[in-house]
Amino acid sequence: MKIRSYKPLLPLFLIYALLILIAVAVPGMWQPVAFFMFYVALGQAFNIFMGLTGYVDFGYVAFLGLGAYGMAIAIKYFSSLGLISILLGILLAVVMSILLSLAVGAVALRLRGAYFAIATIGVNEGFRYLIEGVRLWGGSEGIVLSGLMRRTFGRETANLLSTFFSDILIIAIAILAAMTTIWILNRKMGYALLALREDEDAARVMGINVTKYKIMAFITSASFAGLIGAVAWTLKLTYVFPEDVFNIHYTVEAIVIVMLGGAGTLLGPVVGGLIYGVLKYYLSVVFPGIQLLILAPMLILTIIAFPEGIVGFIKKKGKKSRISYYLR
Amino acid sequence: MPLLELHRVTKRFGGIVAVDNVSLEIDEGDAIGIVGPNGSGKTTLYNLISGVYFPDNGRIIFDGKDITFLPAHERTPLGLARTFQIPRPFGSASVRENVAIGAMFGRAKLDVESALDIADHYLSIVGIEKLAEKEAKLLTPLEKRFMELARALAMKPKLLLLDEVMAGMNPADVDRIIEVIRRVKDEERIAVVSMVEHLMHAITRFAERVVVMHQGKKLVEGKTLDVLNDPRVVEIYLGKRVV
Repeated sequence: MKIRSYKPLLPLFLIYALLILIAVAVPGMWQPVAFFMFYVALGQAFNIFMGLTGYVDFGYVAFLGLGAYGMAIAIKYFSSLGLISILLGILLAVVMSILLSLAVGAVALRLRGAYFAIATIGVNEGFRYLIEGVRLWGGSEGIVLSGLMRRTFGRETANLLSTFFSDILIIAIAILAAMTTIWILNRKMGYALLALREDEDAARVMGINVTKYKIMAFITSASFAGLIGAVAWTLKLTYVFPEDVFNIHYTVEAIVIVMLGGAGTLLGPVVGGLIYGVLKYYLSVVFPGIQLLILAPMLILTIIAFPEGIVGFIKKKGKKSRISYYLR
Repeated sequence: MPLLELHRVTKRFGGIVAVDNVSLEIDEGDAIGIVGPNGSGKTTLYNLISGVYFPDNGRIIFDGKDITFLPAHERTPLGLARTFQIPRPFGSASVRENVAIGAMFGRAKLDVESALDIADHYLSIVGIEKLAEKEAKLLTPLEKRFMELARALAMKPKLLLLDEVMAGMNPADVDRIIEVIRRVKDEERIAVVSMVEHLMHAITRFAERVVVMHQGKKLVEGKTLDVLNDPRVVEIYLGKRVV
């Protein structure tokens, strides 16, 4: 394995380091940076599936929602184990997302293009109505954990968990997602995904087991989604409501972030997530109420100017220069 | 034992019999031309051999193994490779990466580093080494065809199916491609099947045996010159003699 193939991690880690520095050094910036990091992590997790395979999963948020419930269930029923219940929650979140991705993947990944996208819309809505309808996991009343967490972990630890520890974990997930992405890109799997994204039939004739690689990317992407849901929602907010977490809004945001930054690139979802997060945060501060009215045309213009995403554009322009070593 | 055997293979699309009861044997190192007018079932025959379609009747045996219903991606590692009539490059990848993907997932089964290294070798064999860094979708149709040939060769096949690979090439390019195909056939004992609609002169210089397809059936099979002078073959191409 050549070192060179891992060079593109350098600019990415520089961005992370800068963000962490801002969060720590500038008073009042910790929460905004955590807010940006959520979108960075979301974009990277979604990119592993949408960016690398070219398939659009409109039910993606179901994995985040299920992850959030995994963490909530673990804390609610195993709080007697103390902080181990958090670890258990992380594990449960990943396992539940993987199981759902296997079920969805086995059925929906037989479909192509728009048909796959349509089939997946139902997954997310279905889950929400299932939980509300059969009063699963507290039904529409959700799971509220703040009291329980204060009682079992102590007030200070509970506070620390939701205001500090959950943010650290999101950063860790973002770093892990970046390393996973470049690891995939550098291996046969990355080339298999590239081939099937371009021409699935030709890829099959070239000897690529397209179903296997699609499902591998789907599962990987879903596990990261489960982690994000568990950490950024349950652990940070200390409650879960079905209509909050199974909300297609987040899927749309994930799609925008990946498209904005550059689908299938390593750095794209980081840049896309940052731009989206920063704009969303500051527009709502400066123009409260009409922030989306301003955000939407800005995003449309960016996509028109950079149809392959911002990083996709820079990558293309910098092909012959030394920048190309650091972009993927 | 022949490398590829087709036993009375039939494929129907609704009421149309695209390939009708065709049997064929190909040996290691053979050079075979398949000719026939448009719609004679040549491409369907390729799709049956490479696993894009499964036949309605008949068996396909490759290298002693029954592959009749084997999925396409499991046939390729056994030593099958093909090009497409309309080239199908992986557009956003570079030419080198395209060829490397062939080396990674074909019979060669190389790891990423060796595949990328060996890709240049195959690019220079077909004479497009200068295009290695270029995005595949930016190639001209002709360059795409050269790239597909390099990609197929990088798979290290035992049987190479070429689909109109020489169509639209100028005589110098045709010469080069024939030279390349002859060389890999002799050096690596690859059986090469080349499908041609027109370009008869190319087939006479390359193929030792020719199969003529007509309306889904195998019309004639035999030594190249004998077949091309067969009155039935002349008839399907030029029509009946009227004077």
